[in-house]
Amino acid sequence: MKNMTRVVKLTAISAALLAVYGPVHAADDEVSQLTKPDSSVSVGLGYWTEDRPQLGIFDGMRESGAYGLLDANIVKRDDATGTWYTFSARNLGLESRDLKAEYLRQGNIGASIEYSKTLRDNPHLFLTGLRGIGTTNLIVSGAGRNALPRNEVELGTTREGTTLGFYKNLLPGLDFNVSFKNEEKDGTRLWGRGGAAEFAVEPIDSTTRQLEAVLNYTGERLQLSGGYNGSWYDTHNTLVDTIRQGDNPTVLNNHFFLSLPLDNEAHQLFLDGGYNFTPSTRGRFKVEYTHATQNERLPTSSIPGLSLAGAPSRLNGEVNTTLVQLGLTSQVTRNFSLGANLRYHDADDDTPVRRFVQANARCNASECVDNTPFSYKTLTGKLEGTYRLPQGYSLTGGYEQREDDRRIPVSNANGAGGRDTQRVVPMRSDVEERTYRLQLRRTLSETLGGSLGYIHSEREGSHFISAAAGPGGAPSDLINPINIADRDRSKWRLAMDWTPLERLSAQFVYENAQDEYGHSQARPFGLRDGSAELYSVDVSYKLNNDWKMSAWYSKDLTKANQRGQRAEIRNRTTGALELRAAEKDADLSDAGESVGLSVVGRATPKLKLGADVHMSLNRSKFDERIIRTAPDPVPGVAAVGPLPDINTRVTTFKLFAEYALRKDSDLRIDLIHERWKTDDWTWQFANGTQFVYTGAGTSAATFTDGTSVVANQRQISNFIGARYIYKFQ
Amino acid sequence: MKLLGKALRVCAFAVLAGSILPALTANAAEKEAPKDIVLTGDAKCTSCHDENDSPEALRIGKTKHGAVADKRTPGCTNCHGESEKHVKEAGRGSGPTPPVDVGFTKKNAASSQERNAACLSCHQGSKRIGWQSSTHANQDVSCSSCHKIHDGKDPVRDKADQAEVCYECHKEQRAQVSRPSRHPIPEGKVNCSSCHNVHGDNPKALAKSSVNATCYSCHMEKRGPFVHNHQPVTEDCAICHNPHGTVIENLLKARPPFLCQECHSHTSHPSQSAGLPAGRTGSTTELGTVGRGCLNCHTNIHGSNSTQNSATVNRFRR
Repeated sequence: MKNMTRVVKLTAISAALLAVYGPVHAADDEVSQLTKPDSSVSVGLGYWTEDRPQLGIFDGMRESGAYGLLDANIVKRDDATGTWYTFSARNLGLESRDLKAEYLRQGNIGASIEYSKTLRDNPHLFLTGLRGIGTTNLIVSGAGRNALPRNEVELGTTREGTTLGFYKNLLPGLDFNVSFKNEEKDGTRLWGRGGAAEFAVEPIDSTTRQLEAVLNYTGERLQLSGGYNGSWYDTHNTLVDTIRQGDNPTVLNNHFFLSLPLDNEAHQLFLDGGYNFTPSTRGRFKVEYTHATQNERLPTSSIPGLSLAGAPSRLNGEVNTTLVQLGLTSQVTRNFSLGANLRYHDADDDTPVRRFVQANARCNASECVDNTPFSYKTLTGKLEGTYRLPQGYSLTGGYEQREDDRRIPVSNANGAGGRDTQRVVPMRSDVEERTYRLQLRRTLSETLGGSLGYIHSEREGSHFISAAAGPGGAPSDLINPINIADRDRSKWRLAMDWTPLERLSAQFVYENAQDEYGHSQARPFGLRDGSAELYSVDVSYKLNNDWKMSAWYSKDLTKANQRGQRAEIRNRTTGALELRAAEKDADLSDAGESVGLSVVGRATPKLKLGADVHMSLNRSKFDERIIRTAPDPVPGVAAVGPLPDINTRVTTFKLFAEYALRKDSDLRIDLIHERWKTDDWTWQFANGTQFVYTGAGTSAATFTDGTSVVANQRQISNFIGARYIYKFQ
Repeated sequence: MKLLGKALRVCAFAVLAGSILPALTANAAEKEAPKDIVLTGDAKCTSCHDENDSPEALRIGKTKHGAVADKRTPGCTNCHGESEKHVKEAGRGSGPTPPVDVGFTKKNAASSQERNAACLSCHQGSKRIGWQSSTHANQDVSCSSCHKIHDGKDPVRDKADQAEVCYECHKEQRAQVSRPSRHPIPEGKVNCSSCHNVHGDNPKALAKSSVNATCYSCHMEKRGPFVHNHQPVTEDCAICHNPHGTVIENLLKARPPFLCQECHSHTSHPSQSAGLPAGRTGSTTELGTVGRGCLNCHTNIHGSNSTQNSATVNRFRR
């Protein structure tokens, strides 16, 4: 009885203590859960059932098989000092991994280091006799007995980037940031031998470095950001020497030299600033100056007998870019705001013009070649005003004028004048574009908001500088190049946000753009017109506190009409090339449809479920017609046309289940089913067989190279993954 | 033994009394001066919006704003205003509670400028200097349209999740990124802010002052200058490429020969009709569509450094 009494008393005391401290601790714990940074580590294993040649080009899981799934996000904070210690790792079990570690004493000093590896695999398989892949000496398979046995080759590149960052607060409002990134890029890329349609592989082995040091001052009225930005490109390969198997290597003409990009670097100083004249008026300026050079020795200049005597061995390439920008924004009255901006951008290629090719002293068309520095000076002025109307509406009107002044090296070395003897495309030095913009917008609404905008622009320019005569003898400047052609552009955009219920929201977007390109009888070719349309609907619905779903659908259609001169054609009877008075007219279109559906919810307090479906269908059409056949009927082209449509469909279906094993740990299962299907003929002959590089030669007995390309047109693969997730604070 | 039992009971009582009394007095004191829970000076708000009423609001403690040792961090009223009317009338009477001065939901009448002013009072510097003249600001986008301020994880600042936030408005880009030729955006290797400074006023909200300067950040080998420059390459990469995604390899906007024939029209093979060859052929007039199209031969289309004394050396074949 005494024991019983004692137990009762002790229990009463315990209960009393719990009554006092228990809720306090529980409340502290609850608040702590809500306010302290979260961390998690997940470890698991995944398995793809089939290879993913197209859909796995970036994610490091291209081959079928098992993969380690390891992610971590560890965030610790010392509340007393405001110091953060963070470590994050993503895809640690895969080749495409990212890691970052950071120390930050907030508002004082910080440092970080980051590593990222990015893969990019070519989706195709190459069956080739090419030797020396990945090196700067390539041997192409020859004809007959010089044919080299073919091997399966896969191409791809890898980028490995490491970034160091440092931050220091120097004074109140004054911060110093510096970052340095080093990236190594290695691998192989699909290339061509250039002399004929022959397979070649570009060897990639380069280093890029980027350094940025910035001082940021943030005051109540004045903000400044200034510093230095440097970047260096350093390549270890500068030239590729190719030769056909069986050709005599001592004969210079048997070699085909392929140049590569050379080392270059750029140094930029910049100052960016803003000043609040009043709480409603702000001025803005930006100044940048960049000095970029390319002055590595030109490797082909060292090959005896290859280059013009006296041609430079270095380009002394130099591009100086200046940017000056001034802006002002102001709330002029309670309901009217105004913004003005003036921008001057001058990319000035100061590389000296030197002669590299000279067939004869007269330098007629296509007889001399100089290097070609292009410079662009652009002045843009913009004025935009917004007037706020009753009931949450606002009306915006804007005008922008852009003037391009291009400096183009025109070579009239033969003294004839009027026509550039070196370039094969006409050019105009001045291009001007005026853009008008009007938009009605309603933003302040609980249930319905949106905007309707219209933009119209007109582009025109100075007279065209005629290009050199083409190989067929006719002038080659009958075209309006797309980037400088006269153009009228009109764009409409309607966007609506509708939230009829707290649980239901919907978005609708419609965009329409129409382009009309200028042309004339004297200059009839190039794009005639183009259009683009987009419809998109998004719906999000919260079924209850546990379940929500969203769905979206987008449809887009892009069209272009293009007129061109028709090439000489091969007469199928005689085999001769004939030049006919004919033009071709092409109607091109790309149509895309995308659908997404997502459901996420809690089946039980411990079980979270989710499903995600994404489908994308794209269809391209190429309707090209010969529109003028006089005076002679035009026979069928040697190449088989018209081109078939291309349809590409991608479907991804994902499911996940996440079960809370304990308060601090979950088990997650992921299932993915993905399909890729296309009838893309890019790497096919007209009869659907694999494309084979022909190389030189005119018959089966003399064809060289013989590389064929296997383009995967169908891919289905399934994934299952399981992870254990541990969460902590 | 009895003595020991008494002593224990006295001690227990003392502990109990010592615990309860301060707790009671503390409760009384708290009613007079509520304590902060997360942010400096938040008691004004968290005395009502505590872990039971608004647990999601307290999550701000997980963020940089919650590191109160950094004296620059704000309290609730720095962003939401003093909201005196809301404080005085909340929970009183049967009518709706007056809103806070600056709210960040659709229900609140604060304009995007008023909302953004709360953020810009601290964050106007660095890459946000040009915010007021940016396209986003002109479209009444507010900081909270994209950022989650009260959550430890702000998706728009996460490489893997950022694009989904941008797609909420940029539907065309969402469709383009699902096309066969694209940057590794779904994989989280490249994200929208790799190329865009959405807080800035560069054309197209680019991170750098021009399209080409932006592309050179990762594709520095294209910067040149080359001995033989290809004019559109030096002007704007986007003349030929759509960086968000296309149906043609290498992010090309159109397929050769159509793409090349937007500028090249002259006779001979440059103006060939599109078509697939019937079989192996060396005719350049038939090889502009299949494989790499015109680039089967014009392989160094971004520029060439060959000095070979050949009249066609500037055709990007060497």
